Amino acid sequence: MKDIYLPDVTTIDDITEETGDVTTFTLRFKDKRLQEEFDYRPGQFVEVSVFGVGEIPISITSTPSRPGFLELSIKNAGLVSGALHKLSKGAEVGVRGPFGNGFPYERAFGKNLLFVGGGIGLAPLRSLINFALDNRDRFADFSILYGSRTPADLVFRKELELLGKRPDVRTFITVDRGDDQWQGNVGVVTTLFPKADITSEDTLAFICGPPVMIPFVIHGLIKIGFSDETIISTLERHMKCGVGKCGHCCIGHKYVCQDGPVFSYKEMKEMVEKA
Amino acid sequence: MRANKEKELRILKRKNLFTLMSRFLEDREVIAPIKGHGGEVIFYPIEKIEDVAWDWTYVNTVLPPKRFFLPQTEELFHYKNQNKGYEITPIYNDRVRMIFGIRPCDVNALLFLDKFFGGGPIGRRVPVAEPGILQDRYYATRRANTFIIAFGCHQPGENCFCICCDSGPFLKEGFDLQLTQLGGDEYIVELGSARGLKIFYGHEDLFRSATNAEEKRLTEIKDEATQQFGNTRAYISKAIHKITRNQVPDELWENLSDRCHNCGGCSYVCPTCCCYNVVDVPINKSEGSRIRTWDSCAFAGFTKLAGGDNPRSEKKDRLKRRFFHKLSYHYIEKNGRHGCVGCGRCITTCFANISMPDIADKIRKGITS
Ligand SMILES: Cc1cc2nc3c(=O)[nH]c(=O)nc-3n(C[C@H](O)[C@H](O)[C@H](O)COP(=O)(O)OP(=O)(O)OC[C@H]3O[C@@H](n4cnc5c(N)ncnc54)[C@H](O)[C@@H]3O)c2cc1C
Ligand code: SF4
Ligand code: SF4
Ligand code: FES
Repeated sequence: MKDIYLPDVTTIDDITEETGDVTTFTLRFKDKRLQEEFDYRPGQFVEVSVFGVGEIPISITSTPSRPGFLELSIKNAGLVSGALHKLSKGAEVGVRGPFGNGFPYERAFGKNLLFVGGGIGLAPLRSLINFALDNRDRFADFSILYGSRTPADLVFRKELELLGKRPDVRTFITVDRGDDQWQGNVGVVTTLFPKADITSEDTLAFICGPPVMIPFVIHGLIKIGFSDETIISTLERHMKCGVGKCGHCCIGHKYVCQDGPVFSYKEMKEMVEKA
Repeated sequence: MRANKEKELRILKRKNLFTLMSRFLEDREVIAPIKGHGGEVIFYPIEKIEDVAWDWTYVNTVLPPKRFFLPQTEELFHYKNQNKGYEITPIYNDRVRMIFGIRPCDVNALLFLDKFFGGGPIGRRVPVAEPGILQDRYYATRRANTFIIAFGCHQPGENCFCICCDSGPFLKEGFDLQLTQLGGDEYIVELGSARGLKIFYGHEDLFRSATNAEEKRLTEIKDEATQQFGNTRAYISKAIHKITRNQVPDELWENLSDRCHNCGGCSYVCPTCCCYNVVDVPINKSEGSRIRTWDSCAFAGFTKLAGGDNPRSEKKDRLKRRFFHKLSYHYIEKNGRHGCVGCGRCITTCFANISMPDIADKIRKGITS
């Protein structure tokens, strides 16, 4: 049996700067067989190691429907993420995983998909969005609502523009504060609900964003008529092991690293500690 | 014939116990209670028999023996960046060890940790985890290679409440051998495993069969020990009920938080607390180790996120967390038992007087101050 704490070595094959503090890394396992065998669900995450600095949980932003590599979008937020940002193409980092439950996309077969993302939270949603687009005929309507603090903080901007041009996908973007060039929406992401004419009918909502955003979005969706089971969100907690042992990520009896990070609002309400 | 022999109780003279330990010392690590510099009794690997603190002034040690299975600081792997890139070498400790004098509460704590970390059935060199449990190989390897020579408690200590936690004062399982002092300088020995039997067979010159009278005496000793707990009651099951249903008023945790100093001592002395932190320690630019160290949910930084958010920033929430984790039914389901084995160490250690029996009692009675 594999040692749950031992990372495998991957190489950084490509680096794309998304914003001033978010960079997307393309990784491939050095061991080709490992790369071929690596399978995951949208919404799962890996533990990434910069040897000598430490290890952090990062959502996989690529989709399993386009195998052969792994993409991680990482915000420079502290020690390890900062060290990652200093690495160049060809550098090696450790990867353990995939961990967590991932998004329950099977529940959305035949239904409308609503994605609500904030900031770097678009990263795990992007995995699900691209996965669902690669299986387009299994889902009905696509609506993507995305917000960030400023226009300069919007990640995957080119991709979002391309998606916006597709006839079968609706995208809405907003920023908290605009700048001189910005001509789009200004306001928090919930202000997009009426603009996008969101209804709860036959729809599953997938949310990912900073902890402050999530309660507002949930509240907004409930007002529109979404039921607790149809609101699905990721939760973020301090993590060390990713495998349910170190104890850092617990909310009540739930281990966010194993039972989550994706929970329905119904599950969140049943937690003994505040989600 | 042989099957009968396996069930038989043996008698071991104290002199022979020491001989047995010296024989083990030749080829393996022997861990036993010794006297520390301040006179306190601690478990420690011994070098010679004279180190052992068996004047019976200890019931239990200040620190639990968990550090022999989950060391306070432990290297998980070594990494090295050479011409061909990173190489990662895990470090498992599979040295054969004998732990002498471990108490039933602490053995039950190990059984709890086994379930959580996927420690295999004892006595296997290659540990096997129960299906569905992710195995911590570092813990499981240490555990599988450590013989448990337990000491039943014919005389429980003043803070002990194992009797309320289904974890003592004698073991029914989880030991290779269980020794109980018979009076005089003799121990009566119970056999708990196949590898325990091998100790009998390998050292037949040191043991003799127990007589019927001695066997009867053991039953009496166990009954007498149980009587000695007197009115000790921890009311754990009532507390479990209320904690699981989130029926404990927040004021209790609020009031306790005026006293708690967030020192983490309760977690460190608790034989079932097993949360850890992980850090990298480089030796130079291309080489170093990944280390894990004990951690505690009492610490404010335990749940802190980059950027400063902290979902458990309040002391009352951290106190609630500790007792929730020890007692909530959800964890009983996961780990096979609740997380308190009644060792009483938190009573001894906490200078704010926040201890399991006291809090369980407050929860039961609905007292919040
Ligand atoms: C399931 C999950 C998926 C994530 N996906 C992404 C992603 O795709 N992109 C991205 O940029 N960020 C993501 N994060 C957040 C990211 O893990 C943190 O920004 C990162 O851990 C900060 O570590 P640091 O060493 O740079 O900062 P420091 O402040 O130095 O953190 C020290 C340590 O605390 C822990 N820690 C601190 N903050 C967090 C946090 N927010 N979450 C978990 N552990 C933390 C880590 O163990 C970290 O090593 C995700 C977090 C989780 C829980
Ligand atoms: S909670 Fe206290 S009494 Fe119970 S096992 Fe832990 S240290 Fe011992
Ligand atoms: S969460 Fe707290 S009480 Fe539970 S094992 Fe970890 S440190 Fe101990
Ligand atoms: S991250 Fe260690 S238990 Fe979840």
